[in-house]
Amino acid sequence: MTDHPANGLDDVVHQRVRLGIMAIAHQARQVEFGFLRTTLQLTAGNLGQHLTVLEKAELIQIEKGYEGKRPRTWVTLTPAGQTALREEIAHLKRLIQEVEQAETAETTGDR
Amino acid sequence: MTHDSVPSANSPRELLTAVSDLTRRVRVAQRGTWFPLLVFAVITLVAIPVERYAPQLGPCQAGPEEGTLVCAASVASTAVYWPVALMLAYAAIAVFYVRQSRQRGLGTPIRPYVVVGVVLAVLLAGASLWLAYHPLAPFSAAPSEFTPTMHAVSWLASPLTVIGFALLVLAWVERHWALLAYTAVYLVIGLVQGGQVIQSSSRWFFLPYLLVPAVVLLLGSAAFALFRPVGEAQPR
Repeated sequence: MTDHPANGLDDVVHQRVRLGIMAIAHQARQVEFGFLRTTLQLTAGNLGQHLTVLEKAELIQIEKGYEGKRPRTWVTLTPAGQTALREEIAHLKRLIQEVEQAETAETTGDR
Repeated sequence: MTHDSVPSANSPRELLTAVSDLTRRVRVAQRGTWFPLLVFAVITLVAIPVERYAPQLGPCQAGPEEGTLVCAASVASTAVYWPVALMLAYAAIAVFYVRQSRQRGLGTPIRPYVVVGVVLAVLLAGASLWLAYHPLAPFSAAPSEFTPTMHAVSWLASPLTVIGFALLVLAWVERHWALLAYTAVYLVIGLVQGGQVIQSSSRWFFLPYLLVPAVVLLLGSAAFALFRPVGEAQPR
């Protein structure tokens, strides 16, 4: 049973907000803290906690700097983060497929 | 705080839907389609006086009557003006996208588009020079003598087609279906117009070939600026 897609889900990535952060960072290549906060509608503290988890897992890289006088925090997906995101999406797709197959088999068996 | 894009449940289907929705929203926020179209319209309009007043440089061949010479159309426009104008256009577009992305707090996916555009501009310069010195048909040949292959090669080596191909790449980079449809229409207009040979002794005979695409590009720019979805960059 070890090859069941649910076993391949990574707890760090398989969390809706963190998955959202990674999806945005993947498409944006580089994303600023403010954009993430607005798009995901999170408080700064809540977003910061999720970013810390992802950074500790080495899935994202955080760069702090200034643009003029404004402090800016930029988030980039690391190569490990790219792989983790790709694998998570593949596992989710497989999971959906397996559930659908099971439902189809159940419906056929009921007849 | 919750949001439609981040469902409260963690079902695989909802998570995948949320990922797709977030990806789509980032793409929309990265777009700035109106700007490249505006820049291309401007360089097409500037090409009109260049085409009219640029010195007639180019190779010549013996004409059909003894002692006459027939010369190729000026290569100053296609081999010099257009590649330079396209390079400047891509530089302006790259600066615009980078600045817009920084302001919106995102990275930009524009690099492949700019690279393809610059490569196409260089190829255009090379093809124009090559065709000037290795013409597919004698300079004195009547347009009716052109084969479909000759028309196709002329169309492919046209700066306006090069702009169209670069716009196709932009549509792919931005995953922008409306831009893809618009570019298809733009290319078809160019193809149809390219097949219409204007018999005229006027030195302004080329005007429709440039004016029509320029107007199409201007209208496209205005339409994409006016009907952009919420989240897309606003013209400043």
